[in-house]
Amino acid sequence: MSAILCHRLPGGDAGLAAFGAGLTRPDRLDGGMWDMHRADLLGAPDAWRSDPGLRLLAPGNAEDARHVPILADATGLGPVERMVVTIDYSPFPLVLVFYPGRALPLLGFGVKYEIAGPTRASVLVGGEWIMGGVFIDAMGGGCSAPAATHARPDWQDGFGEMRARLWPDTGRLRVVIRHPMDTGLADGIPAHHLTDLTLADARGEEIARLEIHEPLEENPVLTFLLPLHLAQGPIGITARDTSGFRFSGKVAA
Amino acid sequence: MRLTRRQTLLGATAALLPVPAIAAPEYRLAPQQVADGVWLFPGAQDSIARGNGGAICNIVMLETPEGAVVVDTGGTARHGAALREFADQRFGGVAASINTHHHPDHWFGNQAFADRPIHALPGTIVAQKTGAQALSDGLYRILGSWMQGTAPLPATVQAGGDLTIGGRSLTVMALSGHTGADLALIDQRTGILVAGDLLFLDRAPSFPDADIAAWRAALSTLGGLPVTGTIPGHGPFHRDSRAVAQTLAYLDAFAARMDTAAQQGLAPIEALAAGPMPQFAALAANPAEYRRAAVQQWRAFEISALPVIGGST
Repeated sequence: MSAILCHRLPGGDAGLAAFGAGLTRPDRLDGGMWDMHRADLLGAPDAWRSDPGLRLLAPGNAEDARHVPILADATGLGPVERMVVTIDYSPFPLVLVFYPGRALPLLGFGVKYEIAGPTRASVLVGGEWIMGGVFIDAMGGGCSAPAATHARPDWQDGFGEMRARLWPDTGRLRVVIRHPMDTGLADGIPAHHLTDLTLADARGEEIARLEIHEPLEENPVLTFLLPLHLAQGPIGITARDTSGFRFSGKVAA
Repeated sequence: MRLTRRQTLLGATAALLPVPAIAAPEYRLAPQQVADGVWLFPGAQDSIARGNGGAICNIVMLETPEGAVVVDTGGTARHGAALREFADQRFGGVAASINTHHHPDHWFGNQAFADRPIHALPGTIVAQKTGAQALSDGLYRILGSWMQGTAPLPATVQAGGDLTIGGRSLTVMALSGHTGADLALIDQRTGILVAGDLLFLDRAPSFPDADIAAWRAALSTLGGLPVTGTIPGHGPFHRDSRAVAQTLAYLDAFAARMDTAAQQGLAPIEALAAGPMPQFAALAANPAEYRRAAVQQWRAFEISALPVIGGST
């Protein structure tokens, strides 16, 4: 049983099955930049494998190269130490590193796409690396285009605004932070992006942690899954960016 | 028989003759006269793809003594040229053309009509000018050689108010919803509504520039018009009001599905992967159009489901 919620919509189970259910064909995974990224970003593990307990939902093509929605669900595996998301041909191959801690190993997020290629989620479970990947076709340009907010007279309007909601029945937590997530590749706009985000319980103790890099979308929206006792809230959310700004909020069930 | 080298080469050339026809596929037009002097060139009920050369929207020609009034000009320069050739042969030329809105399947054939006035709403012309390059890049990538020679030419005359061309009176309506500027018109002689992409029938509506509330208002306007027949932007000609009803039902069901997904805490890729509303799953161009729409329209539903809980400290 996966933690994917498509069945909440009428006909959603059939739709998900027609979509491929987030399962990847193992024979399609071993190529592209995988050897290099495994060496550079995962600490050069000796072995890796695929596993149907890891599902990666992503569109076959990027309708909007600035916002490509992805969800990695590793709840079908054992306890996950960390999840590393990479994009094969991105100028910034590392998207994020997720340490689920006391949360469940499910993460929804959006990325910018510079060029067509695979996105991969690699999870470390019991000393073993398990990887799922999806090829996403894209016109590209998502990393080198200026953030949409720079088209407005003052991009700082509403900057840092945090929205969130907790669903105590399913354990879902969704968070959005208004942030340009500038990669530094757009002309005349220096890099300015979130670097980390932490979830904490009512006593302020860390639940889960996320390291964030350039490819995460503008105004990123993150989807977490908490065990039901933690999903009763409140949950504290804190984040930081490359310019030293700090963001925080508290969400009750 | 012994062939000389020259004969061999000629024979080889003759054998290769069909090849250019494959490399440069042709548009086969199948016009139907649906009312007095109203000609419909039905588009393929599908997404833009190599199998259809981008000829997916309905093209309409209205016959006048001064030539045809061409409503939408095709999806590529060569599609436009094929339409122009038909108009020249059958109607003695073109009096004017009209672009209903700025989506490329409706106006990338403009080059073939550049010698005559090309009318469009002011908002359409602006969107054509700003979007031409990106739209063209996308279509060259999808359509390949079908796009040969296409250099998008925005409309040249701002439409506003009714038109009489070649003695044919057209009621012109400036609406919006499918895009920021959607032109619909009624041919006064026949009472036929040419609705552009405000109306889809038996084909999933597309949403890249849609404003669902404005689109609903436009449908309410179109639904109240006394017309004798309707040509939707995509889908068959019909005499009743079923394209208005179906397009409205699709908008409502799509908005409800996005809202339910956002309110229940689904991630956007889950809303996308769940596929279209079951009652519309079998429409032409689905699930592809639904999946595109889920990405295009998601953010507004999501933001309304997530209250502000903090900020920069």
